[in-house]
Amino acid sequence: MIGIKNIIKKELTRVFTDRKMIISLFILPGVLIMVMYSIMGRLISNMEQDIKEHIPTVYIQNAPEDLADVINYVNFEGNITYMNSSDNTNAIRDGILAGDIDLLVVFDEGFKETIDNYKNVGDPIPEVKTFYNPSEDYSSAARSNFVASVLNTYQQMLLEQRLGNIEQLQVFYIDRQPESSVIVDEDRASGKYLSMLLPFLINIMLFQSAMGLGMDAITGEKERGTLASMLLSPIKRREIVFGKLTSLGILTGLSAIIYVISVVIGLKNLSQGAMGGMTSIKFTPVEIIQLLLILIILVYLYVSLVSLVAVYARTQKEAGTYVTPLYILVMLGSIMTMFNAGGDKGLQYFAIPVYNGTVAIQKLLLGELTMVQFGITVGSLAVVALVIISFIVKAFNDERVMFNA
Amino acid sequence: MIQINELTKVYKLTKKQMMEQKTKKKMMKAVDKVSLVSKPGEIYGLLGPNGAGKTTVLRCIATLLKPTQGEISVSGYDTVKESEEVRKRIGFLTNEIKLDPQFSPKYMFTFFGRLHGLDDKTIEERREKLFAYFGIKDFEDKKIDELSTGMKQKASIAVSLVHDPEVIIFDEPTTGLDIVTARSVTDYLKMMRDEGKTVIISTHIMTEAEKLCDRIGIIIKGNLVLEGTLDEILNSTNTRDLEDAFFELYKIHNKEGE
Repeated sequence: MIGIKNIIKKELTRVFTDRKMIISLFILPGVLIMVMYSIMGRLISNMEQDIKEHIPTVYIQNAPEDLADVINYVNFEGNITYMNSSDNTNAIRDGILAGDIDLLVVFDEGFKETIDNYKNVGDPIPEVKTFYNPSEDYSSAARSNFVASVLNTYQQMLLEQRLGNIEQLQVFYIDRQPESSVIVDEDRASGKYLSMLLPFLINIMLFQSAMGLGMDAITGEKERGTLASMLLSPIKRREIVFGKLTSLGILTGLSAIIYVISVVIGLKNLSQGAMGGMTSIKFTPVEIIQLLLILIILVYLYVSLVSLVAVYARTQKEAGTYVTPLYILVMLGSIMTMFNAGGDKGLQYFAIPVYNGTVAIQKLLLGELTMVQFGITVGSLAVVALVIISFIVKAFNDERVMFNA
Repeated sequence: MIQINELTKVYKLTKKQMMEQKTKKKMMKAVDKVSLVSKPGEIYGLLGPNGAGKTTVLRCIATLLKPTQGEISVSGYDTVKESEEVRKRIGFLTNEIKLDPQFSPKYMFTFFGRLHGLDDKTIEERREKLFAYFGIKDFEDKKIDELSTGMKQKASIAVSLVHDPEVIIFDEPTTGLDIVTARSVTDYLKMMRDEGKTVIISTHIMTEAEKLCDRIGIIIKGNLVLEGTLDEILNSTNTRDLEDAFFELYKIHNKEGE
């Protein structure tokens, strides 16, 4: 125990007395992440704002006479050019493809007459055709706007003209006051949003910090010849391993916390509405303990995974090469959970390491994690971590690994 | 007391190592059936050219390597089965093992003192004594990274002796040191011997072996080819100084097995 305690103290001292280390491990990544996500958030909201403010360029062929009144009535904003049926629309379509023009609306020839002449079932019904480019944001927005406000209103108006009383058509209403029909648990709703992103971020950040720190603390020390001096002390190799892993775990946890906070601040800075739910997440004391336990075990697992690679690598460069596939695996496990939040999962999924950690955090944010699921997650993660640690201890006892002998 | 009984150490070579050494053999015998005894109150010197197996022998004694065959006991403890007990009793110094460059000699001294289970008061007493002797006090709070080679070596020596070990194993202790510092190290080793400690060193410097060692073992290509006091070695090789004796033996034994 003396060994473990002293090694942890030394490892932490090493990092916290080195200004460069503190900056490169904690401050710089935190600031960079915050700035990166802030910029990302700003760009997204700018884009949305921009689409909203954009005045679309719209061409309308064969417009019925009363359409202009409807457009004025619903306040549809746009640079509208009216065309005759004889005009060629090919240039307009090219313009839509190129993104210069947003929308082309073509009314059938004699649109109004056809409608007026309708008497019996089977008489011709005219068509309004829209041309737009779904890959252009402006174009999509212009089309859906035009259909929803102008064409729908125009249709209602014509119906009223034909039937006199439109209520005959309205057999029943659906949700006249849509706001009053939404029943939602605010915590769960915001939890659902966060549960997509946060577990993924936590997982990736944890592994990333473990990677940077572990390679230096183990392969780096091996390379520098400072690890061997510790092997000469009258303590068990096991104690050295636990000392190293625990200090790495503390540092990894700390930097991951900083990273996650930076991401949250970065996102919150801009998309206020969407991330506003962050503060409304409430945990019960049991849930907090569960979250902490999962995080601690995940940290231990990642740190030991990285350390195992780091022990066998001869140089830090080599360690970097070996650890990359692991990083990709962890990423994959985390990404998989991003797109099926909330779905029911069989217990066996909670036995798959890495994946189960992310899923469990996700469920916890949704307030859905059962004790059995929690138990299986923690148990399987702990077993894997212990197996890996036993390999590390074995490697520490192996002179070929330690001294390249 | 160090007792080595028929120590053999075989390294498995990786493909890269085989290419580097231009050999097709997968195994390399670094040490071949070496037996020796190093007693308390005596400085034993392992003398040999580079790659003769000196460092391997010392690393086996220090429990860092396990013998392929044979056994070693230090103060009655087996280096494989009771390695922790052995490590409690030895001070080991070698070039490839270094102190963490980010810490000061003072911090490292305290750190290793604690790993050896010493209390802070004892550590401070030992530090006062050793740092004063080796002249480390002036730079005890500087980062090891910022120290010169000689200063680093002095710090390493002091740290390796923090727990006042009964057995001292120094692998080429004066390499890289100026003449004054080298002298202070050899003087300290003599002092330790006079206090009744077991001291074993490796060296390829003939004059150092002549002046410092009570008994010398000459090791060539992994074999201990001759052992004895300086006089005994000179007598049996019929030479006048250790260098001549060494080359006499080198001529005979380097040919063998070629």
